[in-house]
Amino acid sequence: MASSITHIEPMPKASVRAAADTNAAAALGLTFGSAERRGDTLVVRIRPDEWYLLGDGAAPMVHGLDLTGYASTVDITHARHAVRVTGSHAAETLAKLCSADFGDAMTPNGAAWGNSIAGVTCDLVRDDHNGERSYLLLFDGSFASYVLRTLEDAAAEF
Amino acid sequence: MNHRLPPADGEVLDRTKALTFTWNGKKLEGFEGDTITSALMANGHHIIGRSMKYHRPRGVLTADFWDPNTTVQVGDEPNVRASHRKLEAGMQVVAQNVWPSLSFDIKAANGLVGRFLTAGFYYKTFMKPAALWPRYEHVLAKFAPGGEVDLDTPHGRYDKRFAHPDVVVAGGGPAGLSAAIAAAEAGSSVMLVEHEHHVGGHLLWGTEEDRARVADLTAAALAAGVEILTNSTVTGRYEDNWIAILQRNHPGVVERLIKARAKTLVVAAGTIERPYVFEGNDLPGVMTSGAVRRLITMYGVKPGKQAVVFSANESGEAAIDDLRRAGVSIARVVDALTGERIVSTKGSKKRVKEVLLEDGAKIKCDLVVTAVGWTTPTSLLNMAGDRPVYDADAARFFPSGAPDNVLATGGMVGDGSLDDLIEHGRVTGELAAGRAAVVRHRLQVATARAETVDEAEPGYLADERTPLDRWPHPELFRASTHGIVDYSEDVSSKDLYSAAAEGFDSVELIKRFTTATMGPSQGKLETVNTVAVLAQARGDSIGDVGTTVWRPPYAPISLGALAGRINEPTRLSVIQPWHEANGATPILAGQWVRPDHYGDPLSEVRNTRENVGIIDVTPLGKLDLQGPDVANLLSLLYTNKWMQLPIGSVRYGIMCAEDGVVLDDGVTARLDEEHYLMTTTSSGAARIWSWIEMWLQTERPEWQVHVTPVTTGLTSINIAGPKSRALLGRLTDIDLDNEAFPYMRVRQGLIAGIEQCIAWRIGFTGELSYEIHVPSGHGLAVWERLLAEGADLGVKPFGLEAQRIMRLEKGHFIVGQDTDGLSKAPVTGLDPLLKFDKDDWAGLPEVRWSLESGDHPVIVACQPDDRSIVPEEAAQILRSGTTEIVGRITSSRMSPTLERSICLAQVSKEFADAGTSLEVLLVDGRRITATVIEHHAHFDPEGERLRG
Repeated sequence: MASSITHIEPMPKASVRAAADTNAAAALGLTFGSAERRGDTLVVRIRPDEWYLLGDGAAPMVHGLDLTGYASTVDITHARHAVRVTGSHAAETLAKLCSADFGDAMTPNGAAWGNSIAGVTCDLVRDDHNGERSYLLLFDGSFASYVLRTLEDAAAEF
Repeated sequence: MNHRLPPADGEVLDRTKALTFTWNGKKLEGFEGDTITSALMANGHHIIGRSMKYHRPRGVLTADFWDPNTTVQVGDEPNVRASHRKLEAGMQVVAQNVWPSLSFDIKAANGLVGRFLTAGFYYKTFMKPAALWPRYEHVLAKFAPGGEVDLDTPHGRYDKRFAHPDVVVAGGGPAGLSAAIAAAEAGSSVMLVEHEHHVGGHLLWGTEEDRARVADLTAAALAAGVEILTNSTVTGRYEDNWIAILQRNHPGVVERLIKARAKTLVVAAGTIERPYVFEGNDLPGVMTSGAVRRLITMYGVKPGKQAVVFSANESGEAAIDDLRRAGVSIARVVDALTGERIVSTKGSKKRVKEVLLEDGAKIKCDLVVTAVGWTTPTSLLNMAGDRPVYDADAARFFPSGAPDNVLATGGMVGDGSLDDLIEHGRVTGELAAGRAAVVRHRLQVATARAETVDEAEPGYLADERTPLDRWPHPELFRASTHGIVDYSEDVSSKDLYSAAAEGFDSVELIKRFTTATMGPSQGKLETVNTVAVLAQARGDSIGDVGTTVWRPPYAPISLGALAGRINEPTRLSVIQPWHEANGATPILAGQWVRPDHYGDPLSEVRNTRENVGIIDVTPLGKLDLQGPDVANLLSLLYTNKWMQLPIGSVRYGIMCAEDGVVLDDGVTARLDEEHYLMTTTSSGAARIWSWIEMWLQTERPEWQVHVTPVTTGLTSINIAGPKSRALLGRLTDIDLDNEAFPYMRVRQGLIAGIEQCIAWRIGFTGELSYEIHVPSGHGLAVWERLLAEGADLGVKPFGLEAQRIMRLEKGHFIVGQDTDGLSKAPVTGLDPLLKFDKDDWAGLPEVRWSLESGDHPVIVACQPDDRSIVPEEAAQILRSGTTEIVGRITSSRMSPTLERSICLAQVSKEFADAGTSLEVLLVDGRRITATVIEHHAHFDPEGERLRG
């Protein structure tokens, strides 16, 4: 199998919702649909007013945010599961289950977006590792068993 | 293989690999690279099937994918196209739609009464009396064409793939290959899709030089990075260049459906040779010039011994050369260009034997080859909105114009030398790439996550291609006699004349009345001849008759390919593995796999009523609500009041859709000043999240509420029963005293050593109970701690069935079971929860109207007078002694607590009063009586147990 599929739990995760005029939004920054590594935390602006903080630094980063104004946070560590699909056939594997354009032009490294994968609502982040193509999938944890099984089925041909 | 030619340049066979297969039980041999048909013909078998209606013997007509006469059964797979499917070792091939055998088919008796089986025969004959239709249908089904399906055949592995190429080229002939190369070299990602097993189109059965050009073009395409898909068909073009591609040769799968979103589609489908309509044109041994050329050059098959060639073009001339090279004697060349015509053929039951010409000559032969012109398969262009226009001088239809992102090239837009076609393809490929670049640029600019583009948008390329010539061709569609027009459907030109005379004289009507063009060839061979015959019948021109509208699919597509992999999402709580390991019977509730019971649901009920039970209720929808306007939101969505809910309290509410129909129900807790936790029904979680976002984003955008779904983030466990306080008390620092933590309150604290847990005191079972929500990573540990710590209290898990029983004993309705898509809020009987003194709430006007009109049904609890009978859910409730339906049982169970049957029902209001006797019709036809009771609750109506 030329792509590896890894269920990376437990991984601390937080969702921060913040209106554009808040200090939290200013601190987190990023363009909508992009992601950036800050230390041991991957910061993802997944929707115009929502950021994911993924990794061990998620909780400290949340605590450091000024959540005054129209801003809030929810610990989604247990609600959303993360699976990483890595390897030369990662995009082809996902393209069997997901309608997104996985080409570099539309989803370059650092791109983040929402999509359905095999019928499950997912958030995807292209998060290459050491130059190797890699995608982080976040989805409702109750689907974990199904998503993993389906990804492995899709990857079997490679 | 007595009809096999010696090896020659151009063949696609590997003669070092002999393949053994059976044909109607007889062992035969072919070579790798053979189609089933070429292998059969090499072995001297020229009858491959029987026609659909008259069961006339049929042989090869086109020797390619479109051949309508060579459909066979291979093993347990029916309707295999034998002229396309490659031979495989061990194939068991049998003729289909014959009985008892291909050579002697009793159903051929249909041909004797053929004059009665004209178009519309079934419509006219079997419509009356209507009551007899089931009998007719039973008999007619035996005459239905097609192979046999073994219902035990395992589901094959089909696959699906999404793709986003800049350019899709449909057709791998010289123009298509050239277009693909040019587009790729201009920087486009290109997918080239070829219907047949090899790219090259007509060059494959051309000259040695032709095949050398194919090799060069193929190498150039691969070098340019073109993804070439052979044995694949572009089956449909949909809005915005959504292209469906069926790939038949992907390793490891039966078929694969590719859903491609192309920025530009290039259609280079070439042309398809038309059959000629004349008496006896479906006899085995009558075939197109392309068929004999393919059989001889690609498959090394000698198609006959003595041929008559009716030729109007260069393809006929080339066929004559090929036939001579193959050692076939040319008995006569009937030169259409000099006015010579075929009138009819005669033959035996096995093959054509003689041709009658217009000059009266009768020529003995066993092969009749026709080269009478071409059909332009404009299907994909039609799907993009193009309407083909007939050119009488060229005797074929041409495209008239498609959207800018769909371009046509090659033989379908004109004629020319090979170099002309390749050049037209090249220019088309460049144009396609240029236009794709514009689309790509716009997509990137419009998509936030895409790579940033600094360059200006490329200039939009105008279509400045030099059109190809249109070479003159005589109009040759039908001889002076009648013959078959649609081989797949057994429709003759005589049928078309009859249909036109009956008034079905528009091309769309005649198609539907006669089924001409509706067979597996999808009109590729038949449409133009149908139009031409109809034009003759009407005394009109072909251009005036026009064509039918070609719709998807371009070629038939299997249901398996459409279905793809069967991926049905299922959801599991973190405790589900424990349930399964401990004997739970699973049940699928929506997408959730849940424990229905652990062996004995009735004892689970008794234990919960007497001791304490725990149930995994993780699937309960849970939404985290934060913001200053949450109370406004709740007040808008629920029918009752929420503005004054104290922190630490829980409230039950009903939600209605805008039509007043009950949408969902649940409880919501106020955790903090601006922080709430809402629960929904298990199946309603996604719907209610969407419902809330709809209101927030479209109707109340000024409200500040953040909604986050946390269903899975919190493992939810309901601890129910008189000993539930004792059990939970052993694991938590929350003060559970009735004064400190009364009914309908929420508390947060430590449970089983886990921080940030939430407990609320509610009860769906009617017992003293606590619903705890713990971070899911700890859910299983908490579950196991509850069981361990409560062993001496008699704690046992209970499943969904026990919960259903207890909630029914308590009289709680379930949205979607006790209500339906017409049940407005007053149906629930919870009138005190409908607050009309609020300014507004979703569904308010409709609910008020419903309540004022008073003619709505209501939910009541009832008990069968015979306490041992449990009426089926959905059993009708009738007005006594009549068949007038006045309600239905919505829930029913045997109550282990009350040791009697209990029900909830929806009844007309006049039957809702306590003490009313209802007449219930059971499924077995018996009528029983049941009595409406005062409360919804059959058990503890005052709620003393849950408040205790």
